[in-house]
Amino acid sequence: MLIDCPHCGARDLSEFSYQGDATRTRPDPASTDTKAWIDYVYNRPNPAGKHREYWQHAGGCRAHLVIERDTLNHEIRSVALARRDYNGGDAA
Amino acid sequence: MVERASPLGNDFRPGSYGDFANGADVAISEVPKAAIVEARAWPGKENALAGLVSSTCKLKLSALPNSGAANREGVCAFNIGPGRFLVSGAREALAGDIAQAVDEETGTVTDLSHGRTVLAIEGAKVEWVLAKLFALDFSNNAFPIHAGRATAHHDVFVQIQRRGEKRFELYVFRSFARAFAKSLRRAAQDVGYTIK
Amino acid sequence: MSPRRTAKGGLIDRARTIRFTFDGENYVGHAGDSLASALLANGVSLMGRSFKYHRPRGVFSAGVEEPNALVTILREGVREPNIPATQIELHDGLRVESQNRFPSLAWDLGALNQLGGRLIGAGFYYKTFMGPVMGPLKGTRFWMMCERAIRRAAGLGRADYEPDPSRYERMNAFCDVLVVGGGIAGLMAAEAAANTGKQVVLAEQEPYTGGFARWSGEIIGGEPADTWAAAMTARLAKLDNVRLLTRTAVWGYYDSNTLAALERVNDHLARTPKGHARQRHWTIRADQVVLATGALERPIVFCGNDRPGIMLAGAVRRYVAEFGVLPGSKTVIFTNNDSAYETAAVIRRAGGHVAAIVDVRPQIGDEAAARATEAGVVALTGHAIVGTRGGKALSGAVVQAFDAATGSLSGEARPIDCDSIAVSGGWQPLIHLASQAGAKPVWRAEKQAFLPPEPTQRWVGAGAFLGTFGTRQALSSGRDAGLKSVGKRSSRAKLPETPATELDLTPAPVLEIRGKGKAFVDLQHDVTADDVRLAHREGFVSVEHLKRYTTLGMATDQGKTSNVPGLAIMADARGIAIPEAGTTRFRPPFSPVAIGALAAERYGELKPERFTPMHDWHSERGAEMTPAGLWHRPLAYANAGETVDQAYIRETAAVRRSVGIVDVSTLGKIAVKGPDAAGLLDRVYTNTFSTLKVGKARYGLMLREDGLAFDDGTTWRLGETDFLMTTTTANAGPVMQHLEYCLDVLWPDLRVHLTSVTDQWAGAAIAGPKARAVLERCVSGTGVDNGTLPFMGIVHGEIDGAPVMICRLSFSGELAYEVYCGAGHGLHVWEALIEAGEPFAMTPYGMEALGALRIEKGHVTGAEIDGRTTARDLYLDWMLSKKKPFIGSGLMDRPALIDKNRARLVGVVSLDGQRLGGGAHLVERGNRDEPGESIGHVTAYCYSPALEKYIGLALVKGGKTRHGTRAFQSDPLRKRFGQVEIVSHHFFDPNGERMHG
Repeated sequence: MLIDCPHCGARDLSEFSYQGDATRTRPDPASTDTKAWIDYVYNRPNPAGKHREYWQHAGGCRAHLVIERDTLNHEIRSVALARRDYNGGDAA
Repeated sequence: MVERASPLGNDFRPGSYGDFANGADVAISEVPKAAIVEARAWPGKENALAGLVSSTCKLKLSALPNSGAANREGVCAFNIGPGRFLVSGAREALAGDIAQAVDEETGTVTDLSHGRTVLAIEGAKVEWVLAKLFALDFSNNAFPIHAGRATAHHDVFVQIQRRGEKRFELYVFRSFARAFAKSLRRAAQDVGYTIK
Repeated sequence: MSPRRTAKGGLIDRARTIRFTFDGENYVGHAGDSLASALLANGVSLMGRSFKYHRPRGVFSAGVEEPNALVTILREGVREPNIPATQIELHDGLRVESQNRFPSLAWDLGALNQLGGRLIGAGFYYKTFMGPVMGPLKGTRFWMMCERAIRRAAGLGRADYEPDPSRYERMNAFCDVLVVGGGIAGLMAAEAAANTGKQVVLAEQEPYTGGFARWSGEIIGGEPADTWAAAMTARLAKLDNVRLLTRTAVWGYYDSNTLAALERVNDHLARTPKGHARQRHWTIRADQVVLATGALERPIVFCGNDRPGIMLAGAVRRYVAEFGVLPGSKTVIFTNNDSAYETAAVIRRAGGHVAAIVDVRPQIGDEAAARATEAGVVALTGHAIVGTRGGKALSGAVVQAFDAATGSLSGEARPIDCDSIAVSGGWQPLIHLASQAGAKPVWRAEKQAFLPPEPTQRWVGAGAFLGTFGTRQALSSGRDAGLKSVGKRSSRAKLPETPATELDLTPAPVLEIRGKGKAFVDLQHDVTADDVRLAHREGFVSVEHLKRYTTLGMATDQGKTSNVPGLAIMADARGIAIPEAGTTRFRPPFSPVAIGALAAERYGELKPERFTPMHDWHSERGAEMTPAGLWHRPLAYANAGETVDQAYIRETAAVRRSVGIVDVSTLGKIAVKGPDAAGLLDRVYTNTFSTLKVGKARYGLMLREDGLAFDDGTTWRLGETDFLMTTTTANAGPVMQHLEYCLDVLWPDLRVHLTSVTDQWAGAAIAGPKARAVLERCVSGTGVDNGTLPFMGIVHGEIDGAPVMICRLSFSGELAYEVYCGAGHGLHVWEALIEAGEPFAMTPYGMEALGALRIEKGHVTGAEIDGRTTARDLYLDWMLSKKKPFIGSGLMDRPALIDKNRARLVGVVSLDGQRLGGGAHLVERGNRDEPGESIGHVTAYCYSPALEKYIGLALVKGGKTRHGTRAFQSDPLRKRFGQVEIVSHHFFDPNGERMHG
């Protein structure tokens, strides 16, 4: 399986590490709402079908990616850098 | 000045190895790089950083992903990640020069002169040998001269720059250099290789 | 002259004689022979014994689908079992043994199993052994008793216990078009794609390209088909953009058009050249794939269909035409389609004798009839073979009138003398790879075959793979596929001319002739038609259940000749059509792949070794090295005659008495730089770093988001925006990844850069009362006195000309310093330190002593920060800042994590002089055999020279509240049980006077 890293290009799956569900939002750091923290840390929807996930191109550019993947057939619909603020080196 | 020790050990000795009866098709060597730094831009400052590195090192470095550059003095730089460049050269002061040149508003510079070991492999069968170790397309079209790649061989991170039609330089973590050199040599046995 | 070799013909090199042995007997063959063809040429038809019943078996096919003739190759000191004789290229010195027989192939005691054949049908083992215990001869225990004998009796070849010295390697390839199959269609596709300038890889599993063209005897473009194929191949080989891989089986089709292939690089040579791989595993990433994999013939199942001498009709044709071998002197053809008529004609042309053609169809076409005439016989239409005769070799067939419409037999059964039967049940396209790629095969009743469906990945089909048979179709569909794969439309240019054939390859829907006796569906696993029906009667109607219950199609041949007949029989038993019975999904590998080829260069420890700059020094000093993750670290520097235990006790004592030195280069080191560096550290550490002054270091603790402890280490502030973080050796990678996640995902607004500088710095820790004295002797450019270098202070200076950075911190509880320098100077500085330490008898120490020192001091490491403990469990509450949130602060106060009865850190002292055991449980009851409930476990232990006792750290329910109480260590694995006292984990110098002194 290949993942098309927006920075490096298509690379083998073995270069990437799964980094978790990208649909959750971290509670306010100072929040003492235990339930919100438990939702964030433990509760996952585990959908059959489209899913948004973080992957890190650990064996490459080290950037975290947001990947839309179909959990039924592994089809990857989109890959983007988790940080949108790099301008990707548009020609100077 | 204290000389730097090579991490490659006593087994990495000049000579011909493997099946070289019909000539060795690749040559492997350690490239002495007195200065290796990672220069890294804040988001949005990639072009500015490439410009600062270019002017300090007399290079034509762009911020495009996977791109790279080199000059006649052997200073070379290539992109290894978003806003990240590996810059190296034979002159020890280069590390300090780049650190000086890059201001805090543009990015940071981290000295890796001791932390990375550079192995060069060159020769007719260089792409064949490297294809055994990396899931990368080493053909000239896909991987042009000066271009760079950040990849890994099993657990070893390797950053690769093409330095010629048939020459690549591989940057590995120093502590892995000996083990990686072993893998590289093993991969080159069938084509025959020399160590320079 | 070999008894079965034809006078002329075939593609073998008759001028080159090759010697080989089979079961110790000497034979000769020719270059170009397979082992199977050479054995047949020598009149050897018995090649193996069957899996379960030990029935004599001969070669059944000529290719990769071979179910019967599996042999063991003895090569370069290794036994390689279960290799089809059809896949072995003959070479000088080839040594081969038959399998699954005792004492010999001809006289096999295991054949007695046949007498009990009725008793060991499908599910025999489960029914006999896996049921509930009902008396002495049933149940799992009985199975375990019998298993050894059964495993020896049933089975295939025997693997070696010796390591495989062969070399395997991996190769990555990228191409625009991968053509799988080098037959006529594949060659055409490759040429068409290559002519557009695209990068093309053509993989062919046989030693030669050409496929059917090699033995068809047809004419293509005015020349013999094999000549045409050879010329075409030579043209392709000259092209720079084409890579021809013969002996390369593409065995897996994975996501993203990634395919796996196995190249048998040197198996056809007597010896692998030194430095070369025996086999090469290819991972091919192709933009487009052309599947030109051809089709395989399948048999008709009938009673006694497994005797040596019975083989597929297409295989017989191939043996005659490609290898110049007549498999029998009198052959009966048995078929449900026209293709076997060509075999009959080929046999006759080569000087062989066709005894009869038995065809289940009521009538045949003119073209087939003409072939029969050429073969010198009149086809027995509306007939079937209902039985065979013979023992170790076939001696006759029994035929009877057969009604294909009803499947019923009538009239008298009559024998026909023969020593060979060539059977054809029609052709099944090889759709394995398309199926692996994710598509479900489609049954086409008119072709009586599963055809490939619409592609689910980027592939195009060509040739017989599509279910269109014939050379003309292969030429045109091959070229079309090649063009389509590069985005071009079909060409109107003229194709090489080839005469059309009118033979009708559409089979009659007859795949089994029912009768009395064993009729084998899966020859390799000895699964009979009755087994399939038995499975149906017992309720295993799903094809997946059928497969697992009967083991149909689960042998090394993956049912290449048995899947379709097996499905047909199951469908018939259920009274449904074949597509309703379904088919199993094909899984990789298409053909067997040696584990060695998958492992390739990942052998031995399976991981790279990681060395510190001082590694060779340690080795030369005789240090025993121990792995710490990928790193190799000295365990202890044992003197001559010393055990590791004696050595570490001596080393530990030397540190407490005078001074010692240890290599700490392996600690994870991360450069944390940028205007928000301190802010990041405040968020990831439980304690505060923004208040740390430049030139000082601080011990920090990280939690995970779930509130449990993650890692600890010191972080040094080298500049206002420049920190050097150290992590434990084991967690360097995970901490880096965690921090990168924080910056990329949680707080992209922070301007911080992280770089792994673990390898940039060599580190040596100098510990002991004389540590400062050592540094005073060698450090220049800075003072190291208490004022200049206080506890947790950092200075920069030089040692013997090399720049160094020194931090005063202690892991041992002694006055201690960590000296860091560029890794390339590591050995130089280390040696200078060693020399400076001479007057104080400075002792190098290893991991064991490091461990003993920290246990005496009560410092935690990975053994205690084990992913289940909290900061409070480890009495590190003081590090949990109340002034700021940090990672983990949200959940660390959950009730369960602050429960009073949690296991918390204590010290334990052995009271009976026995050593403790890491992982030993602590119990309250002093009964060795009934120790009762565990109250905790020992995490680390050592002999403490300071206390002159075995001591340890432990996690015990209630922690501190148990100080001063007694318990027992229960360590049944190490056969240890004994009393301990639970004490504070600060065994030694609890007030830290030595370290601050």
